[in-house]
Amino acid sequence: MENKQSSSPASFVDSTVVPGDVVLDLSSMTNQTIKLGGGLRQDCDAISAMKAGTLRFSKPNKYWIESSQKRYVPCVEDTILGIVVDSKADNFLIDIKGPAMGFLPVLAFEGGTRRNIPKFEVGTLLYLRVVKANFGMNPELSCTDASGKAAEFGPLKDGYMFETSTGLSRKLLSSPTCPVLEALGKKLSFEIAVGLNGRVWVNAASPDTIVVVANAIMNSESLSGAQQIIMVDHLLQNIQ
Amino acid sequence: MEGRLANSWRLTVNDKNFIKTALLSEIRIDGRKPFEYRKISIKFGREDGSSEVQLGQTRVMGMVTAQLVQPYRDRPKEGILSIFTEFSPMADPSFEPGRPGELAVELGHIVDRGLRESRAVDTESLCILAGKFVWAIRIDLHILDNGGNLVDAANIAALAALLTFRRPECSLGGEDGQEVIVHPPEIREPLPLTVHHLPIAISFGFFSNESILVIDPIHNEEAVMGGRMTTTVNANGDICAIQKSGGEGVPQRVIMQCLQLATSKAASITKQIKDAVEVFNTERALQKIKRQPTSTGDDVREKQNL
Repeated sequence: MENKQSSSPASFVDSTVVPGDVVLDLSSMTNQTIKLGGGLRQDCDAISAMKAGTLRFSKPNKYWIESSQKRYVPCVEDTILGIVVDSKADNFLIDIKGPAMGFLPVLAFEGGTRRNIPKFEVGTLLYLRVVKANFGMNPELSCTDASGKAAEFGPLKDGYMFETSTGLSRKLLSSPTCPVLEALGKKLSFEIAVGLNGRVWVNAASPDTIVVVANAIMNSESLSGAQQIIMVDHLLQNIQ
Repeated sequence: MEGRLANSWRLTVNDKNFIKTALLSEIRIDGRKPFEYRKISIKFGREDGSSEVQLGQTRVMGMVTAQLVQPYRDRPKEGILSIFTEFSPMADPSFEPGRPGELAVELGHIVDRGLRESRAVDTESLCILAGKFVWAIRIDLHILDNGGNLVDAANIAALAALLTFRRPECSLGGEDGQEVIVHPPEIREPLPLTVHHLPIAISFGFFSNESILVIDPIHNEEAVMGGRMTTTVNANGDICAIQKSGGEGVPQRVIMQCLQLATSKAASITKQIKDAVEVFNTERALQKIKRQPTSTGDDVREKQNL
């Protein structure tokens, strides 16, 4: 423990951490605001890891732990894809692949008032943002960005949604663009929405394209960049 | 039914519509043609009579065990064949632990009917002493992952496990010739079961009014489809069983079409199972020969210790 706290915090970034590792020491980082993402918790001055994975840092001040799993642990400011399961007077109940149902307040829409509560059929697919993710509470979701604008959030029409691991969905969102999307995008035109909870929605003009894109993404999980490009080329040859 | 219901609430409206519209132009979400079967891989465990079948995402483990029991009163000269299913909650969140669901019971029945009613396994050869001792063969089917079409995968797992199962050899002895002696496998080579033919279950899914037919539906399609039918046929083209449980009605013409498709698929699946069993058997035979060197290896080690 001693030597971990004395080591500089930057040394843990991009390296593998396991639960219990103290990755950051706040006492040595005064006058800084940092944001904690998934897998990190704060005990007084120590920021420790709660799950195994790679510690990531994004400028200016966000830290999170990346790992790949089938279930999603909600985390504030993640953008996710949720499925409406039920609607109550105050909240929509949303399945987010997590340990608990997400609550989407009926007023959490741009210009939302009691008068214009949207109606969602059970099974509607929504693009959402996680607002609160506290222990022992259902995570709270929202269909607006931080400034109250609808941005891109809200129901997704048509298309096809499939499930991936959380690791793959993060890879799809990384920049520079993931090779599989790059290769697909050169030949096909399609719309895609990636939720950090391991759900991906794809839409295109023809069902052919959707199926090819969906399968290419699902196959790309364990492939390297070069292999992904070869796999995509191979798939595209098959449909032409 | 609960399995299917639980599946359907996780499925979005988008997916349901997409699956249906894509099928209108003969496209399935995993890129298959409507009458294309998924890739089957058959693996065997270290012990005789255990198999693991992977059909796309679906994984089923089969395990065959035998026990000496008293036969049923009305059939004193016949062995007993029974099938048990285990739906692990790990396979699908909708499977509850403990009490077997409707799907589990139905699956057990379909596999059981296919094997027993068609007399695929020769039960008479399992008799040792009429009215006293027969072998009871127990097939356990564990669903490890639900990717749809559990019935077909479970059926293949059961067949593969049965084909590799070996029961210990028995003989009658004692003073009155009424005592059963079970020979340990080291002394007498265990015997395989007599399997006359392989009844292969092939499932079909039917989609609403457009009368769209698909073979080997995956779990998303199962949640959307209006009806399913499982036909059990063997490679000779004999129909062993047909199961049509609820859902939409199907015209006779479609059933005939299904049977034709099933017969051709059954032939290729039978070949795959037989090939896999053959590979396993030769490997096992080779291992038996190699047993000698390992014992000398032990000797060497002992000498070193000394």
